[in-house]
Amino acid sequence: MVTASLPDPPTHASRRLHAVRALRRDLVGRSVRFVAGVRQAWRRSLQVRVVTITLVASSLLVGGFAYLIADKITNILLENAQTDVRLRLNNGSEYAAKQFNLYSQPQEAQLQDTIDGTVNYLAGGDPAQTSGVVVAITADNFAEFIEPRVSPDVPVRSVIGDELRSAVASGKVAHRIRTGALGGERTKYLVYGSPVPTKFGQVELYYLVPLARQDATAADARATVVATGVALVLLLGLLAALVTRLVVTPVRVAARTAQRLSAGLLDQRMVVSGEDDLALLAASFNQMATNLQRQILRLEEMSRLQRRFTSDVSHELRTPLTTVRMAADLIFTERDGFEPAVARSAELLQAELDRFEELLTDLLEISRFDAGFAVLDSEPTDLVPVVHRVTERLAGLAERVGVAIELDLPGTPVIAEVDPRRVERVLRNLVGNAVEHGEAKPVRITLGMDQSAVAVTVRDHGVGLKPGEEKLVFNRFWRADPSRARQTGGTGLGLSISLEDARLHGGWLEAWGAPGQGAQFRLTLPARAGDRLTTSPLRLVPADATLPFGGPRDGGLLAIGPGSGAGALAIGPADTEPAEVRP
Amino acid sequence: MSARSGPGRRVRRLVVGLLAGVLLFPAGCGIPAETDVQVDGSVPVAEPGSLNGPPASPPAPTDSDEPVPFIENYLRAAAAGERDQAYARARTFLAGEARNQLPGKPQTSEIELTVVRLRAKESTPLNNEGTSTVRLKVQQIGVLGADGTLGPPEATETEYVFELRRAEPPGSGLLITRLPNVLLTSDSALREFYRQHKVYFWNSDQTRLVPDLRYLPAVPAERLVTEVVKWLAGGPSDWLRPGVTGLPDRTRPINNATGGNSQWEVNLDMPGANEERLARLGTQLAWSLPGLTGQLDLKIQNQKRFSVDLARERTEHDAYPRGVDPTRFSVYDGVIHPLALASERRGSVPLLATENRNVVSASIAHADEQVLAAMVVTGPDRRLRLKVGTGLDPVAVFNSNAATFGTMSRPTWLRSLDGAHPAGLVAADGKLYRFDGAAGLSPVPLNVAGKVVAVAGSLDGHRITLVSGGAVYVAPVNVDGGVVSLGQPRRLPTVLTGVTAADWISEDQLVLAGNDPDRRPVIHQVSVDGVFDSPLKNDIGSAVVTQLAGYPGSGDRGLPAFSFMYEANGAAYQNNPFGFIKRQQVLDLPAGSRVVNPTAPFFLY
Repeated sequence: MVTASLPDPPTHASRRLHAVRALRRDLVGRSVRFVAGVRQAWRRSLQVRVVTITLVASSLLVGGFAYLIADKITNILLENAQTDVRLRLNNGSEYAAKQFNLYSQPQEAQLQDTIDGTVNYLAGGDPAQTSGVVVAITADNFAEFIEPRVSPDVPVRSVIGDELRSAVASGKVAHRIRTGALGGERTKYLVYGSPVPTKFGQVELYYLVPLARQDATAADARATVVATGVALVLLLGLLAALVTRLVVTPVRVAARTAQRLSAGLLDQRMVVSGEDDLALLAASFNQMATNLQRQILRLEEMSRLQRRFTSDVSHELRTPLTTVRMAADLIFTERDGFEPAVARSAELLQAELDRFEELLTDLLEISRFDAGFAVLDSEPTDLVPVVHRVTERLAGLAERVGVAIELDLPGTPVIAEVDPRRVERVLRNLVGNAVEHGEAKPVRITLGMDQSAVAVTVRDHGVGLKPGEEKLVFNRFWRADPSRARQTGGTGLGLSISLEDARLHGGWLEAWGAPGQGAQFRLTLPARAGDRLTTSPLRLVPADATLPFGGPRDGGLLAIGPGSGAGALAIGPADTEPAEVRP
Repeated sequence: MSARSGPGRRVRRLVVGLLAGVLLFPAGCGIPAETDVQVDGSVPVAEPGSLNGPPASPPAPTDSDEPVPFIENYLRAAAAGERDQAYARARTFLAGEARNQLPGKPQTSEIELTVVRLRAKESTPLNNEGTSTVRLKVQQIGVLGADGTLGPPEATETEYVFELRRAEPPGSGLLITRLPNVLLTSDSALREFYRQHKVYFWNSDQTRLVPDLRYLPAVPAERLVTEVVKWLAGGPSDWLRPGVTGLPDRTRPINNATGGNSQWEVNLDMPGANEERLARLGTQLAWSLPGLTGQLDLKIQNQKRFSVDLARERTEHDAYPRGVDPTRFSVYDGVIHPLALASERRGSVPLLATENRNVVSASIAHADEQVLAAMVVTGPDRRLRLKVGTGLDPVAVFNSNAATFGTMSRPTWLRSLDGAHPAGLVAADGKLYRFDGAAGLSPVPLNVAGKVVAVAGSLDGHRITLVSGGAVYVAPVNVDGGVVSLGQPRRLPTVLTGVTAADWISEDQLVLAGNDPDRRPVIHQVSVDGVFDSPLKNDIGSAVVTQLAGYPGSGDRGLPAFSFMYEANGAAYQNNPFGFIKRQQVLDLPAGSRVVNPTAPFFLY
């Protein structure tokens, strides 16, 4: 394939820029992912943590020891070299002093020869020998008479350095380490200088001893120590990994088994091998699982028996009730012919039978829920007519107790995939309750919706709920004031059934209330059956409610949720999760 | 979570830092590339002190503004101080335009001083232009080499001419504008600024030490050992070389010899050094350093190998056999008789009386227990022949050589020989002959001009002096496997002419009889290289000294040092004090002997 067109430079550049950016993005992404992965591994894996901590701790320890050892070795090498050179220097200085003692004038001709000879002698005689030691004699005070001599002949002035020269010139034996190239590659030199007293003054003797060998030895020792240290650290890490693995693996197995147990697989057990602590753990775990399983099965059985009993009792009561009902209906229709007291009894009988029938119906419904037989029959339904229907049905009661029912419905249909029968029952329950506890104050029904949910709130201005009662209201047969007479003859199961209906839809049923401020109930249902609810289109706490504390933070939500104590309700600024009461 | 993250981050940072530190530690604990100067201590400052024998201050150009003394100072300057700076000192006397007539700064080994003896000095007075000419008539004495030896003269000039001018500014002395292009010095300057020093070399069979005369410049005494060791390592003087052996080849001193306070240390590089060689070197050093006592350590390549107590070594090992205590003898009426001078020890003639007849001159020496006697005797034909006898005292068996000669010098024994092969030399009829214990004569080839009239061996036996053609020579003698051979004789530059007799008067001094420049017979003492030439006896009359016998040993053997006797005009004389040896001083004269003068005096030692 031949591409004839030349690449457009700016295009090329921008392409490259893009590529670079992409690469950087990629790299950043990768590193972020890597960091996240590492973090996750750190948080999730005990093994990773133990191994990491072991590695770090042992690295520090071994590193510290290695440093000490390497430092010690280096120091010993250096000290040996220094002692050596010092000795040579002393001997050399003594020798040179003896040699130069024969001269009382720096200008004596043979002095220079003697200096040459002395330097060569001190350097080992043969200048061709490459021991690397350089010996120099200088006479800074007599530069006009005496030439400095170095053996082997290399320029040492720069390596000796002015500081050392001045120190030695002032009569001090001094040394330093300098790096320099004396006729070869750069080497570290131990430079020792000593004044040599003579009859005419002072000359200076310098020894420059290469530290290449010591350096190499120190490097060797260092490498060995480092290698050993690294090996040790890795070994410790490996050991930690193995030991942790020994402990963590059974723990993981236990965790998995526990997870399975909690998921309902009650016959899951751990494998018990050996007699160690882990085996004991496994055995104990298994024993616990067995006991739990037995208890759970017993409780299930008991619960099942109870539900069965309720259902059976309800069924069994229905047949005689029908008979009694027929008789009671007959008496009721004939009550006008009875004495007023009897007629009143007939009326009472009829009313109580109605309640009894309702109670039976509710009990049956509850037992259906308990037995798990309740089936959702959802279909797209407009909730506006449902609300209308409910208010119409309860209009009589409302009128009787003097409660005005206000509706706040949207002008458009509110369509949701719900079971209309159950939704209507829930609303009937809520509105009925509100009317019943409305204390002749208006009850307001609000319908709202958004993309994912529909919600209905029912607000009354009755006595309200005491703190903690928001949850209790959904309990079966719960009464706020047990001594208070029922005007409407509720069964005490309505809200429980409503809650079960809401749950069946995957929705929420929540209550809010405050003493003297009335209460508000909110039903929130997913717009599409099976969807998961995240928020509600309406607020649970009414806008006109005065809160016991400063209220929610600006723009924040108010949370009403389970408190710390049993049955307590916590109200406070909302966390990230939506406000929700899960009875 | 956020409450935990703060400390967590800190911990993590700490851990990361520590880890980084641990990983980077190899860079941290090596040998540093550079450190500060660390002071280890201080050295006491040496007190500036002067050494023994501060060198005499050299003459300066401004010391004199008279032409001749100026030139004399110039001649002194070269010798006044260290050899290495001889040229520098001499050049201070030169005018700028003449500087290039002397070499600049030659190598130390190339600095040679031409030593001359001034015989006459004449100068033209300064003329109007401020110039002057100085003419020096000289006798060439020799060349002082780097090793302190005085070699034979290389130049033949007998006159040197110097031109001088006034220095600028006027009144600041003179300067030389023309000069001979050799570095000259005079014998008097040599005597003034140098001192003679003998070093000793072993003969070829390592039995005796032979002195070798050197000249030591004005160096501090501490450097004497160094100089001596250098000389020894450098080998003997050229003229002596055939008679002695030097140190092994490539022997050289390593730096200076050090020491003081009776403790000396010499470091040498000496191939093949062994105990025996070092012991010999120790003896050599002990004798070559006569002024030093105490211990001298010999180090070979810095290893101490040998130690020698200098004084004890000299006591225990003689440089050469000194012979017996000297006694005087002379020939009286053809018979050898002991002499009795003053309170000196008197000897007895170690010969059978029957053999002690017709003696003209004789030489008797002790070699261990043996007595070596060589006599020149007259035969019935009045001719001279050699008669030699060896053996225990008294010597009874004599051999005479059949050869007869018209003239014969006093024979001399070469004292280096072992008793089994005694050997001697004698001059007969102008030729030199070697004789042995059986009086066998064999001529010795000699490359000297004139007739040999006298020969004398030194006490060490490895040097002889001979008189030939009026000149005096010294020559080394080598005894190799019993064969005596002579090295090339070296003519000594003496002021005497017409030398007739010579003998050794000390290790390095000869006594000569000859004519002084004024043609008067005199007796002079001359060093073995001719530098020192001083009269011992000036007024000996007009007679020619026919025989001369000196005692070369030291003055502690019963005779004053530098004792000699001579024969002139048929009579014998002595020194210390000078005088005629009278008949009464001849011992053991038989009753009724003729009254003659004792002749041919000699020392037995």
